[in-house]
Amino acid sequence: MKLTIHRNRRGAAAVALTAVLALTATACGDDGSGGSGDEGSGKGEITFWDNNGGVRTPVWEKIIAEFEKKNPDIDVKYVPIPITDVQSKYDTAIAGGGLPDVGGVGTAYLANMVAQDALEPVGDRIESGALKGKLSEQMAESVRSAAGRGDEMYSVPTSANQGTLWYRTELFEAAGAEPPTTWDGFYAAADKLTDAKKNKFGFTIRGGAGSVAQALDMMYAQSGVDTFWNGDKTTVNDPKNVAALEKYVGLYKKATPEADLNNDFAKMVAQFGQGEIGMLQHNLGSYTDHVKAFGEGKVEGIPLPPSAEGSPRTIVSNPVDGLGLFKSSKNKTAAWKFIEFAASHEMNSLWNQEAGSIPANTDASGDAWISEVKPVKAAMESLNDPGTKVVQLPYYLPDWNNISKADSEPDFQKLLLGEITAKQFADGLAEKLNEAQAEWKQQQ
Amino acid sequence: MTAALTETDARRTAPPSDTPVIPPKRRRRRQRAFDEVPRWQIYLPLGLYLLFTLVPFYWMLLFALRPAGSTSLVPWPITFEHFEKVWNERSFGVFFQNSMLVGVATLVTTTLIALAGGYALARFQFRVKNAFMLALLCSQFIPGALMLVPLFEIFRNLSMINSLGSVIIAETVFQLPLSMILISGFIKNVPVSLEEAAWVDGCSRLRAFRAVVLPLLRPGLIAVGSFAFVHSWNHFLFALMFLSEQDKQTIPVGLNTLIGADSVDLGALAAGGVIAAVPVVIVFAFIQKWLITGFSAGAVKG
Repeated sequence: MKLTIHRNRRGAAAVALTAVLALTATACGDDGSGGSGDEGSGKGEITFWDNNGGVRTPVWEKIIAEFEKKNPDIDVKYVPIPITDVQSKYDTAIAGGGLPDVGGVGTAYLANMVAQDALEPVGDRIESGALKGKLSEQMAESVRSAAGRGDEMYSVPTSANQGTLWYRTELFEAAGAEPPTTWDGFYAAADKLTDAKKNKFGFTIRGGAGSVAQALDMMYAQSGVDTFWNGDKTTVNDPKNVAALEKYVGLYKKATPEADLNNDFAKMVAQFGQGEIGMLQHNLGSYTDHVKAFGEGKVEGIPLPPSAEGSPRTIVSNPVDGLGLFKSSKNKTAAWKFIEFAASHEMNSLWNQEAGSIPANTDASGDAWISEVKPVKAAMESLNDPGTKVVQLPYYLPDWNNISKADSEPDFQKLLLGEITAKQFADGLAEKLNEAQAEWKQQQ
Repeated sequence: MTAALTETDARRTAPPSDTPVIPPKRRRRRQRAFDEVPRWQIYLPLGLYLLFTLVPFYWMLLFALRPAGSTSLVPWPITFEHFEKVWNERSFGVFFQNSMLVGVATLVTTTLIALAGGYALARFQFRVKNAFMLALLCSQFIPGALMLVPLFEIFRNLSMINSLGSVIIAETVFQLPLSMILISGFIKNVPVSLEEAAWVDGCSRLRAFRAVVLPLLRPGLIAVGSFAFVHSWNHFLFALMFLSEQDKQTIPVGLNTLIGADSVDLGALAAGGVIAAVPVVIVFAFIQKWLITGFSAGAVKG
């Protein structure tokens, strides 16, 4: 028996064609990105994307509640975005439309967003508003430098982080070791606190995601090389930096657990919090985790030591977090009001107190909580010390993230495993950076 | 020309069964050999494998159930503070509902559409059938991330951004090719003569399908449905990109928000992980019998 399906083929074809055309038409619609937006009425709803959503949600909810109380005509729709994927979320929204009015923007990916023409320049708004003269010059400079568009600012800095050497006071006391205020002291303590047979280690090294940024912190702080570029060539492979890198990676397996090879920050901080590890180098942001793990007073954080006793401190510019105003916003007046409010003295202080980082609003620097949180106080003092040299990392290079992460982190693991030398690693990194810099200059 | 397959056609086109027919004598010999092996030689490797598999789960439970700051290797004293925190303060209650809605809706739509498509692939010959099968297979090589921007634009223009519907549609679309191939394999295993007998008794094609074929597809439907559910339950990318409102987000996105730029609340993260794992474990506990039957019944035949 053979059956034939009776089907209206023309009808089916027409339906299929209509569906295809409808989808094509919708896909070709105006994506809304790159539009000039509108100043708007200064009332109504604005959308805010938090680039470190979840972890900072409670403090943002407080700030938004305060803002809405003072501005009853404006509603802020809060959207938490996981930090691990914020860049791809922004990229998709830039390409497909649907950007918010205000978004958290870090200097690590600021250049990428500026290059895609997504952000509104905010220099004039700062100069003519309540934030004039209130923002840390160091952070403002980091924001300008990261955008790579001369003196223009494309985000309002709200906080900064800084590489910090965390150490467990009770382990140091038990071993009779001195706090690591010099590099010799640091290496001596790492050695003294290590007893691998008892699973005790002096230090935990970051060998996985984020390893290169952290290694740069350690290299420049030890070497005292105070600029990232020497003409058009990077100083990453300066002999002093190579020597510092060699010493730093020499700690692997000697004074650190072997499993550190795959450490990202979460594993590293968890390991520090769970095990018998004397020291950890990570930024101020993990302060609350350490206090939760050990309790107040059982862990201290100090800035990375200067290259030699008495010489100025050299610190690498850590990413500065900020708030960006999006070009496509249809209500820029209300959006800017929110940015100004969030970066004001009281709110900026509140946010940074919760985050344990350095406030950008200079009025907040004298607030009581800063003297109570010693690591933040010490970091601020070192940052504001006129003698301190800040090495500005080239966040403005469109390839910076690729070079410092995907391209170089596997090489750093090879370096830890002894498959390449510190010089080979530094030369390889320098070559990529020099090429990227030359390309960037050509495009300017 | 599109034509239904008769039993003869089906015999000609259906691949031979992969299930080996073991003669009773050899089966008895195998059983005897199995009985002669000391038990420990079976249970020790299995036990070690189980231990290896369960250690990460134990670690997750440990962090979820012990107080913050504790370094104890046993979760004692037990605390549920992390669960309370993620469920109430971090909106996991809402995320759970959203994930459940997306998972169940994807399961239903994927299974229904795959059933219809799989039936057509198994029972009808049409001109571009082989090309269509090839296209279905090739679509498996396209990563979801590649389609993000076009899908985002389409959903945006259909005003479906921030709607769970966009995630359900995207998940269904990406699940369908493999599901259709799997279902068509199951349907091919059901003899056409059974349907033909029902037609002779006066059933329509639909009625014959419902009364005769559908009950025999239970293992296949469970396998396909459970894959669709688990995949959409765990999938992160579409929910992250298409949903930009806190009360619309799903569990995988919620889990990621527990990892901050510089700090991570491991207790909350572990508690969130337990909440995310529970439905998947329950689903597999209930369906494993049918799942195994489904696979061994030639689920992967093209």
